[in-house]
Amino acid sequence: MANQETQILDDILVKSRRKMLTLGVSSLAGMVMGAAAPLVKAATVSYTDADILNFALNLEYLEANFYYLAAFGTTIDKANAASTAASAPLIMLSGKVGTAGTVSGGSKVPFATVPVASYAIETAVEEGKHVQLLLSALGSSAVAQPAINLGTSFQTLAAAAKIPSGSAFSPYASDATFLVGAYVFEDVGVTAYHGAASLLTSSANLTTAAGILAVEAYHAGLVRTTINYLDPTGATIAGYTNLISSLRATLSQAGLLGVAPSAYDANPDDFGLATFSVSLGGSGNTSATRITDADSTNVVAFARNTTQVLNIVTGGGAVNGSVAVSPATGVFFPAGLNAGPNGFK
Amino acid sequence: MEKLSTLIKNGVSRRKFLAGVGATAGAAAALNLAGCGGSSKSTTTAPPTSSTPTDADILNFALNLEYLEASFYLYAATGSGLDAADITAGSASPYKTPGTVTMGDAAMVQGLTTAQQEILNEIAFEEQAHVRFLRSALGSAAVPMPDIDLSFFGPLAVAAKITTAATGSGSFNPFSSFDYFLVGAFIFEDVGVTAYAGAAPLISAAGVAAGYLAAAAGIMAVEAYHAGYVRTSLTGRAIAAGSASAYPYLGAANLVEDLRATLTVGASAAPSTSGSVETTLTLPTGLTTPSSIVAASATDAVGFARTVNQVLHIVYGSSTVGAKSGGFFPSGVNSIFATTTA
Repeated sequence: MANQETQILDDILVKSRRKMLTLGVSSLAGMVMGAAAPLVKAATVSYTDADILNFALNLEYLEANFYYLAAFGTTIDKANAASTAASAPLIMLSGKVGTAGTVSGGSKVPFATVPVASYAIETAVEEGKHVQLLLSALGSSAVAQPAINLGTSFQTLAAAAKIPSGSAFSPYASDATFLVGAYVFEDVGVTAYHGAASLLTSSANLTTAAGILAVEAYHAGLVRTTINYLDPTGATIAGYTNLISSLRATLSQAGLLGVAPSAYDANPDDFGLATFSVSLGGSGNTSATRITDADSTNVVAFARNTTQVLNIVTGGGAVNGSVAVSPATGVFFPAGLNAGPNGFK
Repeated sequence: MEKLSTLIKNGVSRRKFLAGVGATAGAAAALNLAGCGGSSKSTTTAPPTSSTPTDADILNFALNLEYLEASFYLYAATGSGLDAADITAGSASPYKTPGTVTMGDAAMVQGLTTAQQEILNEIAFEEQAHVRFLRSALGSAAVPMPDIDLSFFGPLAVAAKITTAATGSGSFNPFSSFDYFLVGAFIFEDVGVTAYAGAAPLISAAGVAAGYLAAAAGIMAVEAYHAGYVRTSLTGRAIAAGSASAYPYLGAANLVEDLRATLTVGASAAPSTSGSVETTLTLPTGLTTPSSIVAASATDAVGFARTVNQVLHIVYGSSTVGAKSGGFFPSGVNSIFATTTA
């Protein structure tokens, strides 16, 4: 074991982090940390930074279209007066890999309050820039925009989360329901980029991924803060966040099939806005909000591997019993994600 | 969990990582310079003169910042600071004696709603957790809390042109109300995000394997959640007040940004960034104007990074190259990076 460990570390130092990918992050961490972690199933093919960035691109296509539709009433590839006025990037859908699909559902939210309307515009522009950046970074390796469902998908998820009247839920109905829709995505974005960060081999790509991770966390903080202000007692939309987080944590159990992305992840790996009890300094317990979605011990944000993220955005499509399903399809991605031969779908 | 010190002892050196994998050149150079510079903090044992920063050096630098943040938020939330058990030196640390906190106006913020108090409790708890987590990960290598000066908010606000009185009547006191607290928190949170963003790519391959990159990225995300909270609150309360003049705290936060930029004007930027690493808070005026909650590049919406030197200039309140202490850290940070080198 010691020899193998030494060899692995040497390989990492001399070559790249690629070796770690084929062995699995947690197994290596287990060896280094001296824990008796079992060797998990090794990936049989090696994937590249481009595969990881393309996975992120699929998620950014999803997020950006949601915010463009909500804020402007159009998709990322079609400018209108509202998107032009906001200087939102008009995306040339240049991705070639995989099968191009269309975006269904979604409409402009009849915003009534300045804070929520302005947040929607800001977020749309920023997610549009993320799509633009990834397309530019990937060049001819970029995947095409897959089929995306931004209509009935929310009703399916809301019903599964047991949100009251979930089968009729629309994130495009009001300021409040828009925030709930945004909540569905933002913390997932954080965990996806966090899970990917340690897997990237290029230092430049890692820096970029860390920077996007920070932005997703700003967005998540923004959404959670605003929901908390609008519903401090948790009677309505803040209460829904607990239901959504609980559903995500359940779907995330798919992580048990594969490689845990971080030694700091706990079960469950998602918390809504319900208050929790904390001890401060040397004093007794007191009540705290939960603007930050993180574990209660180390307070390190959660990470998710690609299977966990796939299972969330496809509403359970990535796992059948104890077997991983690929391509995963369902909910937001009715035809699955686009990926290269060794990519994540 | 095997401690970092053991990993380092095993001979997986940072130098090898830098040579073999090729971390971003600019960052490596900056860190090496900092490492050679050493420190001359007079109140403690002489620090190590390591020529190559280790992962422990990087995490210990972060620990200094977490001591500061945790102290600020704990005083604001409860009127007391870190527990005595959370500030001691690890047995192998060259810094032996825990510092003290100069309290200034530090006190439990009064007049909060229940929801506001619960927010302060949350952030205080989470920064306290980061102190404990880093200390646990560092084990015997953990540095003790350095001297911290919470009376520096007054002079900082004068330097930022928020007010003219450094102390007493008319001075800036982040413990005096929820809005002043938000501005105080604003001083730290975006800096915390950028400090971790700058440090994450510098962690060695062994540190990556041991999960330290994942930890740093995860803590960075938490700092960004906090920053998102602070910036959303400042913006939302300004919108509710109706105008920038009716809510001067938004403008005060932007003056803090200006000061941070001035303090770091001479320091080389992190390799991933060019130009400003600040995003000015704006006041949305209608249903078709964007907010500016996220601090990120205007070109591609990627979060900023700061180098160790840039972070030090801000927390020392000094643009001087060669500064060893000052501002929130009157005796310097307990770190091989204690002296600004650029």
